[in-house]
Amino acid sequence: MNALMSHRWSQVLLSIFTGLMIWEIAGWQFNSAFFAPVLGSDTPFANAIAQWIAGLFGKTIAEPHPGTVPKLISMLAAADMREAFWEVAGEQGWIAGVQRAVEASTLLKAVSESIMLFITGLALALLIGLFLGMAMARLPNLRIALEHYILALYSTPMAALIPFILAIFGFEFWPKVLVVFLFALFPILYNTLEGARSLKPEYVEVSKAFRSSEWRLWTDIIIPYTLPFGLTGLRQGIARALVGMVASEILLNPAGIGDVLVSRSQAFDMAGVLAAITIVTVLGATLMASVRGFENRYVKWRNAVR
Amino acid sequence: MSANAARITISGLGKSYGSLNVFRDINLQVGDIEIVSILGPSGCGKTTLLRAIDGLLPYDEGEVRIEGQLVREPLPGVAMVFQHFGLFPWKTVARNVAYGLELARAPKAEIREKVPYFIELVGLKGFEDCYPYELSGGMQQRCGFARALATEPNVLLMDEPFGAIDAQTREILQFELLRIWNMRRTSMVFVTHSIEEAVLMGDRVIILKGRPSTISDVIAIDLPRPRSRETLQSPRFAQLREQVWATLVDDVKRAEFVLNPA
Amino acid sequence: MSAMAVTSSSTPLAAFLRRPAVLKIGTGLALLLLWEVTVRLFGAPFVVRPSGVFAAMPAALGDAKLWAMAWSSLSAVFLGLVISLIIGTVIGVAMGRVPWVNRVSELWVNSFYTMPMVAILPLLTMWFGFTETARFAIIVFAALFSIIINVADGVRSVPREYIEVAQSFRARRSDIWFGISLLASVPYLIAGIRLAVGRALVGTVLAEIYASVEGVGYFILVNARSLEQNTAMCAVLILAAFGIAVDAMMGFTLKRWFPWYRREGRQ
Repeated sequence: MNALMSHRWSQVLLSIFTGLMIWEIAGWQFNSAFFAPVLGSDTPFANAIAQWIAGLFGKTIAEPHPGTVPKLISMLAAADMREAFWEVAGEQGWIAGVQRAVEASTLLKAVSESIMLFITGLALALLIGLFLGMAMARLPNLRIALEHYILALYSTPMAALIPFILAIFGFEFWPKVLVVFLFALFPILYNTLEGARSLKPEYVEVSKAFRSSEWRLWTDIIIPYTLPFGLTGLRQGIARALVGMVASEILLNPAGIGDVLVSRSQAFDMAGVLAAITIVTVLGATLMASVRGFENRYVKWRNAVR
Repeated sequence: MSANAARITISGLGKSYGSLNVFRDINLQVGDIEIVSILGPSGCGKTTLLRAIDGLLPYDEGEVRIEGQLVREPLPGVAMVFQHFGLFPWKTVARNVAYGLELARAPKAEIREKVPYFIELVGLKGFEDCYPYELSGGMQQRCGFARALATEPNVLLMDEPFGAIDAQTREILQFELLRIWNMRRTSMVFVTHSIEEAVLMGDRVIILKGRPSTISDVIAIDLPRPRSRETLQSPRFAQLREQVWATLVDDVKRAEFVLNPA
Repeated sequence: MSAMAVTSSSTPLAAFLRRPAVLKIGTGLALLLLWEVTVRLFGAPFVVRPSGVFAAMPAALGDAKLWAMAWSSLSAVFLGLVISLIIGTVIGVAMGRVPWVNRVSELWVNSFYTMPMVAILPLLTMWFGFTETARFAIIVFAALFSIIINVADGVRSVPREYIEVAQSFRARRSDIWFGISLLASVPYLIAGIRLAVGRALVGTVLAEIYASVEGVGYFILVNARSLEQNTAMCAVLILAAFGIAVDAMMGFTLKRWFPWYRREGRQ
């Protein structure tokens, strides 16, 4: 059993390593405005190896190739963070210290701004999406009334509404939340609608036969049944909300990760751009994995019903 | 069979869907210790009738009274077992069995006592924490029984409970049900389209036929209780089965004649 | 008394209101009314509203510029989809049928799928400038990974039962390959296309707004900015119509040619 586990893990590692290798080699081929490697010339280790390989062909590498990871670390400004923390923590406690440290790091500050935006928009979408979806499960007439509109809006690119939001509501925090909200809402609604459609009348019949109260009908049947559909919708919603988040940060008032992306690209700092892309991808992947984990843990029965 | 007081009284019951009259003029009494089998061909409305008796569907004429109370919605003390099982896939066996008790706001201690008892009664001991999808059809229906029995109802309504179950398991479950009923004899209405099943289970077989359906015949089943596999071999069983068959098939023969007048 | 006592009768009005067509159309009209009233009460005169859109529609639909831009965007989407389909199917099949290809690339394919497409816009403009090429690149990026993942899923999950049956009737390898595997994966491909179109449309609009590339998104931006919001909304409707039409077409194809198919592709 252990052998099997390490077998699979070693394959994952191999795959990561291969990809990173390709990335690294490609990065050294182009100048720093066009592409950047993972480690690059800031890392003595990678630099030495690259020079050695170049030496084999009788060449030397003259220009610097800033690496993505070193750039990530410098944007993190680890040293400044530590300083800022210790400056404040002594007097005002370590929560204030953490806040100052986060602000000292361009990267962390950006990430925390983005996350605030993301969570606000997503939470609103989840709240409204789940509730409306469950209401549609309980009230078939409501579902019939709304379903085609939900399908239509699901197929419409919400990005097309960004210019309107910009013109009508402005470009501060709450208009951006609106963008994220709209991006996230329809996948959630679409999937909970799917749940509402497939709710078998037999379940409601059983609850009637056992004289269930309305409240129990919801807690015993409606909510547990539509929840897995909601989670699928949440996963899609997260993906779209990330797009909405970055899009609103780029197209409305620059802030957060979107701002980092734009400013680094304007400075032709490819390593910085790749670092920002990596961060936001890792954020997305982590969120998705968490939702999947939650699904597997709490919603095992789903596979059988499908 | 001693005369027993009527627990269910159905008088002049009728139901229509729009202009389609499903059944009419149903008059039936079910005693307080009795199993009544309702038998009829597919589409004769026996399932609809059962749901009307339970109060799940509204009826248009006549009335149903259970223990004197008029039925307009499902009453406490009446429990139903469904052909589709109707177990909640997201609840374990134990939670499914506890469902009726929880809805009736039974105290937790009572639930903790009763649920394991009924799970064991139906032969599902050891499967308390399993989910329905992990169980076979027969086991799921056992769970359905336990759920209905846990509320200790005076009236059990069975809607073709073995319709979705394979033949072998069906036989086993029929005798299981009889055994369980025997432990606490009360009123049961058993809907089926199988003649053998109707005769095996019931004290009376009510035959529903016609368009619209009405009770065309009531055949008393005088087989002794408790019934077992031996009952199936007895000559009386065969006689009764033939009698029921003859009564039912009358209709079919007539229909054949009408379709093929030549 | 339980919450669901049985009631048997309903008034004719209630029965009429319950008819699906009435519910749907009625709700639509109610929502439009709500929109109109809210904007009139709280919004500035330039804010988009149903009456304004309706009024602006003849001029907008008659505007050759709009159609030229629509053509620019939608043809790019179409072309990008075709390219993604070709490349994506090849990679997807490779991933589905050849285990080591799958193991090596699965992580990366999933990572690129999770990557918000807008995050690579600055990158693409660094490479291609503020041009149509950048827009095309993001369309391909947005669409490609949906296709790869769904095709791989489809190829991988041909139900074994079908193959068993074919084998018991002594079918040849090629029969199984083309008769079963391919057919069984088409529904997944269709699901992938549906997703890809949605993503491609978003990518187009974002690229056009960010990189000022002439197209529907750009048209919407320019008009919304210059207070011609009602005209801009007409363009949004064109986009919506396209998205809905493609989705409906895919759904129809699925139902017509693959009525036995049950599952949605991975999302």
